[in-house]
Amino acid sequence: MAGTGSRGRAERRSAGELESEVLATLWATERPLTPAEIQAEIDGALAYNTVHTILKRLYDKGLVLRDAAGRRGAYRPAKNAAELTAEAMHEALDRGPDPIAALQQFVTGLSPEEERALRELLAGGGA
Amino acid sequence: MRFDVYTPLVLSLLLSVVAPPLARRGAPALAARVLTSAAVLTAAATTWSLVLLAAALLGHAPPLIREAREDGHPVTNPVPEAIGIAAGLALVAVAVRVYRAVRAERRTRRTLRRLCAGHPADTELIVAASEVPQAFAIPGRPGRILVTSAMLRALEPAERRVLLAHERAHLAHRHGPLVTAATLAAAADPLLGPVRRAVGFLVERWADEQAAATVGDRRIAARTLARAALTAGRARTACALHFTDRAVTRRIAALQTSPPPRLWSAAAAVLLLGTVSALLAADATGDLLRQLSGVLN
Repeated sequence: MAGTGSRGRAERRSAGELESEVLATLWATERPLTPAEIQAEIDGALAYNTVHTILKRLYDKGLVLRDAAGRRGAYRPAKNAAELTAEAMHEALDRGPDPIAALQQFVTGLSPEEERALRELLAGGGA
Repeated sequence: MRFDVYTPLVLSLLLSVVAPPLARRGAPALAARVLTSAAVLTAAATTWSLVLLAAALLGHAPPLIREAREDGHPVTNPVPEAIGIAAGLALVAVAVRVYRAVRAERRTRRTLRRLCAGHPADTELIVAASEVPQAFAIPGRPGRILVTSAMLRALEPAERRVLLAHERAHLAHRHGPLVTAATLAAAADPLLGPVRRAVGFLVERWADEQAAATVGDRRIAARTLARAALTAGRARTACALHFTDRAVTRRIAALQTSPPPRLWSAAAAVLLLGTVSALLAADATGDLLRQLSGVLN
């Protein structure tokens, strides 16, 4: 029983991770995407059906919308909650002292010479 | 008592000296854990030492000393009155600093709750439709990952996977509480400031290593950091602050070499520092109690 339970959890978590990946892809691309395009974008590691299932789940949660104006079967991200979050974030950043500064942010500031070095790294691909 | 009660201060300094090189050279998971544990132990010992020094003032109370002399107890209170008073004042400062740190922590949590509002409870990724490139993990149950649309647009698909894996590592290994513990320790004992900064750097390195392992490519992980930092840097030039601790550059450099070794002996030494300060504080407590009971009986 315990084994089944933990496997169930693991599967749920990885479904959650896939949802994040599909949602991130839709937000990163500035136009609506079909399941096939999403599948190609996430380097084809996912089965078409899986992408479809994840999109349906995201749709049920109200996180993505079917693109009514454009192509059939294309999806775009729902903006409402994301805009509210952005507002709350800007408000927090402006108010100071910055409550987010205490968090583990992905990246922090750069000096001009660091910036140059990083540009070279990206251009050369010689990481 | 003389040694015991002052040594935690010396040990805090020592810990602050060894923290930065350990953060640069050791495997981040082990280093972050031992540095935080040692910092918490040392901060507790330092604070307790201040309590003892202040409490030793009791031994100066004239009736007690007179009684003790009459009883033939030698009164050798090793704590000069001025130091006892200074310790009392330092304790007040510690209380204020810890109170402020706790308040800042609660403010951050309140803000984070607001950021999650309106998003389904069972969703890991929260996107903010913002032009500020930003990404961070939101601790909690379940933990969430907040990324702005500007950051997502700036990254390539494999790089987005690195970013998500990095933030997931923060949540899975509970880096939030770890950093909070180090922050509170440094609030109680300002000498531990460099340890707090080392822990902050180490949890990022830890998450970087996890992300690199998840995507199976250290070069992509390094590239992700570079691109994210450049994107964030461009957006921030308006501030023209140019403040930098070179953290991102050092993280990228670390990903360009092989994973660092677990420095077990250095880790053991750091833990020993923390344990010694705790033991000495306990020993000093015994001394003070003996002294006071000697005076009182």
